[in-house]
Amino acid sequence: MTLPEPGSAFPERTFGPLGRVDIVRYAGASGDFNPIHIDAPYARAAGAPDVFAMGMLPAGYLAHAASDWLGGPGGFRRYKVRFAARVWPGDLLACTGMVTTVAGGHIVVALTALRRGEGPEGLSLPDEEIALTGEVEAELGSSVFVEEGEHGA
Amino acid sequence: MAEVSIAFRLPVERAKIREFALAVGEGNPIFFDAEAARRAGYSDIVAPPTFSVTQMWHLSREEREERLGADLDYARVLHAEQEFLYNRLPVAGETLDATMRISKDVTKQGRRGGELRFVTYESRFNDAGGEEVLRALYTLVQTSKDPRE
Repeated sequence: MTLPEPGSAFPERTFGPLGRVDIVRYAGASGDFNPIHIDAPYARAAGAPDVFAMGMLPAGYLAHAASDWLGGPGGFRRYKVRFAARVWPGDLLACTGMVTTVAGGHIVVALTALRRGEGPEGLSLPDEEIALTGEVEAELGSSVFVEEGEHGA
Repeated sequence: MAEVSIAFRLPVERAKIREFALAVGEGNPIFFDAEAARRAGYSDIVAPPTFSVTQMWHLSREEREERLGADLDYARVLHAEQEFLYNRLPVAGETLDATMRISKDVTKQGRRGGELRFVTYESRFNDAGGEEVLRALYTLVQTSKDPRE
């Protein structure tokens, strides 16, 4: 185990490819039944080429990755995300974290989740773009896993 | 006349934790197995960090809009930011007393012209002893015209 230092990166964690069933499962779990996320004809009528994930689904995956990096979610004191791009069925979500500060028994990690994939027909999306950025602040526990320069599962 | 805040309750049920944890791909046993959670220092299985979004089952968007009266046009609204502030994570078996209010409502000039209105809904979740467990800040942005135009 390495004591985390500012600039240390956590191993990239990839979720997906996102299935339509994953979006429906999250709708049921969260109670977010906005039809733009689950009903493709409705989404098209609203001007989107297809359904897309509610932001809190990739935000949930990113929190999951951060929790695993920090040895569990028990030390979380703050978790914040900003939504930058929609996440589409078929996308992979690659989560990365970089330590920004370690002080007073607290660690702050800058978080990024990239969507990777072709995106829906009708949109010319880049193969990879930032879907969300964020930050987690946690009490430093006994098991923080930093693997500098490594990219694992 | 809009209300200042809405009080509601968020039950933290074992089966709901399991369902929610699976929906965000979790495998950590503290979300599924009470024994594992106890070994990690909790009294029962733990709710994942974003679990409080299940409040949508207990306070719908329609009721929120009707009672708090932000007067948003949802054809032009996107989820901009989400923040959680934690004292601890909820555990299975407790019922949290929640209060939602509008904590911020500001209009800014957009970079591409037009106005952007940011509205933040703050939900505070307290335990049976009245101690704050966590706070969730849900920020929506309303664009000055339909985003698909």
